[in-house]
Amino acid sequence: MPTKYVGQRIKRNEDPRLLTGQALFVDDVQIPGMLHAGFLRSDYAHARIRGIDASKARQRPGVIAVYTAADLGDFWKPGPLLVPAPHSIPDLIFNQRTQVPMARDKVRHAGEALACVIAESRYIAEDAYADIEVDLEPLEAVTDLEAALGPGSPLLYEELGTNLASYVKQEKGNYAAARAQADVVLKRRIVVDRGAAAALENRGYVFSWNPKTQEMIVWATSQAPIALRNVMAGLLGLSESQVRVIAPFVGGGFGPKIMVAQPEEQLLAWSTLRLGRPIKWIEDRQENFLATTQERMQIHDAEIALTRDGRILGLQDVFIHDTGAYNSYALTVPLNTQTHTMGPYEIPNFHTEYRVVFTNKMIVTPVRGAGRPQGVFVMERMMDLAAKELGMDVTAIRAKNLIQPDQFPYPQGIIGQDFTELIYDSGDYPATLEKAKALIGYDQFIREEQPRLRAAGKLVGIGIVCFTEGTAVGPYEGARVTVESSGRVNVATGVGTQGQGHFTSFAQIVADQVGVKPTDVIVTTGDTEKFHWGTGTFASRGATVAGNAINAAAAGVRAKILKLASKLLETPEQELEIVDGMVRVADIPEKGISLGELAIKANPMRGSVEPGTEPGLESTQYFGPKYGATAAGTVAMIVEVDPDTLLVEIKKYIIAHDCGTVLNPLIVDGQIHGGVSMGIGQSFYEKLAYDTNGQLLNANLGDYLLPRATDMPPIEIGHLNTPSPLNPMGTKGVGEAGAIPTPACFVQAVENALAGLGVEIMEAPLSPRRLFELVHG
Amino acid sequence: MKLEGEHIFHGPRQAVWELIRDPDALAKALPGTETLTRLSENEYEGTMHVRIGPIAGAFSGQVTISDEIPPESCTLTAEGKGAQGFVKGVGRLQLIDEGDDTTLMKYDGDIQIGGKLASVGQRSLDTVSKSMIRQGLESLNGALQARLSAATTGEEVAYVPPTEARFAAAVVKDMAGELLSSPQAIWAVAAIGAALALLIGYLLGRRGRR
Repeated sequence: MPTKYVGQRIKRNEDPRLLTGQALFVDDVQIPGMLHAGFLRSDYAHARIRGIDASKARQRPGVIAVYTAADLGDFWKPGPLLVPAPHSIPDLIFNQRTQVPMARDKVRHAGEALACVIAESRYIAEDAYADIEVDLEPLEAVTDLEAALGPGSPLLYEELGTNLASYVKQEKGNYAAARAQADVVLKRRIVVDRGAAAALENRGYVFSWNPKTQEMIVWATSQAPIALRNVMAGLLGLSESQVRVIAPFVGGGFGPKIMVAQPEEQLLAWSTLRLGRPIKWIEDRQENFLATTQERMQIHDAEIALTRDGRILGLQDVFIHDTGAYNSYALTVPLNTQTHTMGPYEIPNFHTEYRVVFTNKMIVTPVRGAGRPQGVFVMERMMDLAAKELGMDVTAIRAKNLIQPDQFPYPQGIIGQDFTELIYDSGDYPATLEKAKALIGYDQFIREEQPRLRAAGKLVGIGIVCFTEGTAVGPYEGARVTVESSGRVNVATGVGTQGQGHFTSFAQIVADQVGVKPTDVIVTTGDTEKFHWGTGTFASRGATVAGNAINAAAAGVRAKILKLASKLLETPEQELEIVDGMVRVADIPEKGISLGELAIKANPMRGSVEPGTEPGLESTQYFGPKYGATAAGTVAMIVEVDPDTLLVEIKKYIIAHDCGTVLNPLIVDGQIHGGVSMGIGQSFYEKLAYDTNGQLLNANLGDYLLPRATDMPPIEIGHLNTPSPLNPMGTKGVGEAGAIPTPACFVQAVENALAGLGVEIMEAPLSPRRLFELVHG
Repeated sequence: MKLEGEHIFHGPRQAVWELIRDPDALAKALPGTETLTRLSENEYEGTMHVRIGPIAGAFSGQVTISDEIPPESCTLTAEGKGAQGFVKGVGRLQLIDEGDDTTLMKYDGDIQIGGKLASVGQRSLDTVSKSMIRQGLESLNGALQARLSAATTGEEVAYVPPTEARFAAAVVKDMAGELLSSPQAIWAVAAIGAALALLIGYLLGRRGRR
């Protein structure tokens, strides 16, 4: 079908509302009689709870209730496992310890909730913390990943007898045999540290229970409103139809908002049922640092085996992954690391093995990139090391090992994040690398510019790295498309929106199918009463999985439109066209009927219809891919390092990216820009600094540095388009693209700029200070 | 955080020892100390108002003295907590008779902090603690002079400990001084110092009015 809108750079439908303050965010929800919750959180990272006495706080004027774990009775139990462990991997160890509603016997991370205060205002709630007497017996904290697994380490879970949360090994081919044949074997320790998702909008909820209708309405900053509804209904013993979750406009998701049944959600739900009054809780920034999930800490021992001419024979990567205090989200993050380490390269023998460790730090769950940046960082560092050792150009060694376009579908031989074998569906990796080289002017920079600038005393360097991005995983999403009697078209889907432009790209898909303008398509996302089947917004899957469901539903409506119009206009369907909201006979444009009129005719108010008739111009369809589509790209940047301050300026940043069919280049560019800013943060600015007692030392935006607009380089994006064969529209995801390769590229570029100083960088994130230490020893 | 340093007291060791074992003298010398009560020979309990960077609040806790070898050395263990977090520290104090009526105090210790004090105050903690210790010791030295002079002349000599505001201003000066070691930062630091002084002055003023 020819497309009029899909593929166009259309401005976003939702922006006028967002830019004029007319969009509803959770904190905008005001209900008469609404109460406010606050959470007293532990200052200690590891402690035994001897007792909590809240009786004085309950007497404070304005305080309605104070709940501790002891008050919850049977409701207190470890929360649900949100993602199963991939038991299709043989010999997998998974010690399940899910997050609890509130600390009861032990505190396992600083910031864990000890008591929930419900009060007339948030001010009163927070003032009441001072009235709560908490008796804690501090315990030695577990923070070092290796020491945590050693003998004599304090334990988070004494009954387990170990801090080991999980162990997973996957093998492809035979690494030991490959190593024996190799000309060169290189080994390094590589460390990636923690960062925050740092969404502009923190978490927030309003829970409201109406005793007369016996219904609960929840406004939540959720990436998974349907899962949240189902889990909350289950925990509260309510029917799913009694719970409505609305994820309105959300100021950024980036992963942590996929979590459901978190302590705050559980306490608000339970309290609103007991008190019969609406309750709001909006996370403040400090709580966001302490009590919103985080990512990235891993320690890798990697080894690469190559022939003298630079062909990879095998790769071994043994790593430790920090899961923090609980492991409700199972193994998604380390599994992604495992499945992204091989990247776009042909690696015949791969040994990958990891141990997951419980520590007294905030829980680790996916944050934009979700394990992929670590895998890419390890692989790309080893490639750079190999290039140096073999005296090869960094792009030449990469080109030599890329999977070729005729090798797809390319099975990778290990289990991926959807628990089936990882298969790359499509791509053209050599073209992607070539495009990036051309855009950054690689050859010319190396040959002319860099020698000239270096001669002038400037520390300039170039970096170029390749990556894959596993996206668009199942299981499924669904959508309902309805033509209104006004002629406008309604679309409802279960995924929530946190700024991805769904109101526009989804509208473009429908506009093409149904023959209306995108501005006449009204998209509703993330309201379980509007659409109650679906999984959520994660793993760069919205545009592909929900998008294809919407496409299918819109095609279903188109079929109904044409069938009914054919009858009314007495013209065969194939002679009809739908243009600007009118169904007309292609040869006789004046002979037609508007979609609005057709919608009225499809929904007769009197008379009889033929048996089997479905009313209205409406269709509900679902889409689930066989497995996730793999997007790919190459990133390149030129940096200049200040020799005195070791500040790094990114002079130029380019990304050649292939996400299959592009629905809206403006939105894809925006997704990439956002990802790049996150990637830059996790290259040079953002690092959550925990001390050995499990205290987060920079839990504020003064000390935890986010890249500012002025830190953003000019970004040039080259789009490639290898449609995915896994879905009718040929799309792949793009949401994490910018974040995944940037730290690896940044470090390579900085190392290149400092060539001659003998600096080897095997860690991220850096900072000017850390760089200074590396340079000056 | 590790802390170590030394300080010279202008007086004989026995007098210095008596001074640091006197809760009233200690409470006066450490600005922000609201109460300090002796529970037993070697245990004190008290409350202190502390400001570290943007974090301010009351801390209550205990100090225990152990391994005491009068008038030479002792170990101080302090634990305090408040709405803004907790502090836990162990320190070893040593008094060395320098033979010329002066006494050298050497100290080293390890401090653990938690809560907001750590997560927000961390950046200024090092400088503020050092500044507090330096000022506290200087102030104790002042008290010592007053005592010694009273003992020799038989007259009461007034000793005026620094006010909390003066103390805060000195902390700012110390912080700026530390930053000033980097020559490029001089203008930035001057501006930040002025702003901090204004802010602290404002906050203290506001606290005073409440």
